Amino acid sequence: MYCLFARNDKSGCFGRHALISLWTLLLCSGIGALAQSAAPPLNANAPFSIRATHVLGLPNTKNNCNGMLSIQNNALRFQKCGNPDAQVNIASVHALFLGEESKQVGGLPMKLGKAAAPYGGGRVVSLFAHKKYDTLTLDYVDSDGGVHGAIFEVTKGQGELVKNELVALGVSSSPGEDQPTKQSISEVAHEDK
Amino acid sequence: MKTSKPNSWIFCVAACVTIAVALSGRLSGQTAALKPSDGSSGSGTQWSLQVERIDPGHLELAHSFQVAIYENLLEELNKTKRFKYVLREGDSKASEIPDLLILKTTVVKYTPGNETQRAVTTVSGATKLTVRSQLVTSDGRIVLESTVNGNVYFFGSNLRATHNLARNIAKAIKQSNMAMVQASYRDTQPPTLNARGTQ
Repeated sequence: MYCLFARNDKSGCFGRHALISLWTLLLCSGIGALAQSAAPPLNANAPFSIRATHVLGLPNTKNNCNGMLSIQNNALRFQKCGNPDAQVNIASVHALFLGEESKQVGGLPMKLGKAAAPYGGGRVVSLFAHKKYDTLTLDYVDSDGGVHGAIFEVTKGQGELVKNELVALGVSSSPGEDQPTKQSISEVAHEDK
Repeated sequence: MKTSKPNSWIFCVAACVTIAVALSGRLSGQTAALKPSDGSSGSGTQWSLQVERIDPGHLELAHSFQVAIYENLLEELNKTKRFKYVLREGDSKASEIPDLLILKTTVVKYTPGNETQRAVTTVSGATKLTVRSQLVTSDGRIVLESTVNGNVYFFGSNLRATHNLARNIAKAIKQSNMAMVQASYRDTQPPTLNARGTQ
């Protein structure tokens, strides 16, 4: 405070100081921005990797297990901590679909807790204890030509990143995106063809 | 007043135990009922099965659901041990297998659900799937046709419906006597099963 008052007395000097400080700040932020924009090309060779949940479909991998989904050497790899990774050759991936889902968080302990909560308190908790995520569905073929499908759950927003990476490597993203399973009022019925 | 709370807890625990025992008894009853059909596959020929991808018909069924039904079907049909080989669509080995049936699945009805709505209301938000399954011979004759449901009413994610559906389809195929399938293969009259997989 003393310093501020002292400077206020010499307003001309303070103005010059303030101008220099402002200029320095702008220079620093400009350099920071340049560094940020220059960063991606440096990391371009680093393998793309995100946390994901394998829902089903990959061979020799448990359903609903968490791990790292990465793209390396033209292969999509899923590695669960400590386990050998399952991989799909990107050339064998026929189609890619991106969807959106919402699920309750907390698993079984949360369910039990909600059930035990008195006066319907669990229902109120359920209202807020849900999380949206992206689903990534892949169609691929094995060495015999058999069609496989694999589903992954990734954090909302990251599905698009994986999709972009795979599309850049030549995977065709379907023209009709995976329809999100919204709650609809009317029941959709398709009678016999 | 003090004794009323423990009493209510005891009552709750007793009710839970009773429900658990009743459910486990029902499940074991189901498996016991299924067991005799395991050995009675009838004729000597053991069929192989090729599972085709799911046909969504005109419905807007999310692709993840289609893939989940397909993958769950393969898993559940392998578990039945009724078929010599369970092959995927497009598998090149299918052309070398003589007694091959093809499983075609078409989605007939689909009600999208919502897990949060289920958790909050209990009575709404169910995910419901109804499909028509056909076992077809390699020359295109339908030997078995059934309409099967897979639903999630209370617990589990929406994709859980696909698992339930696949299990019900596998159960319906398992319960149908393969000798009957062979007979209908000769007579060209497909046996039709209802939604619960029983005739």
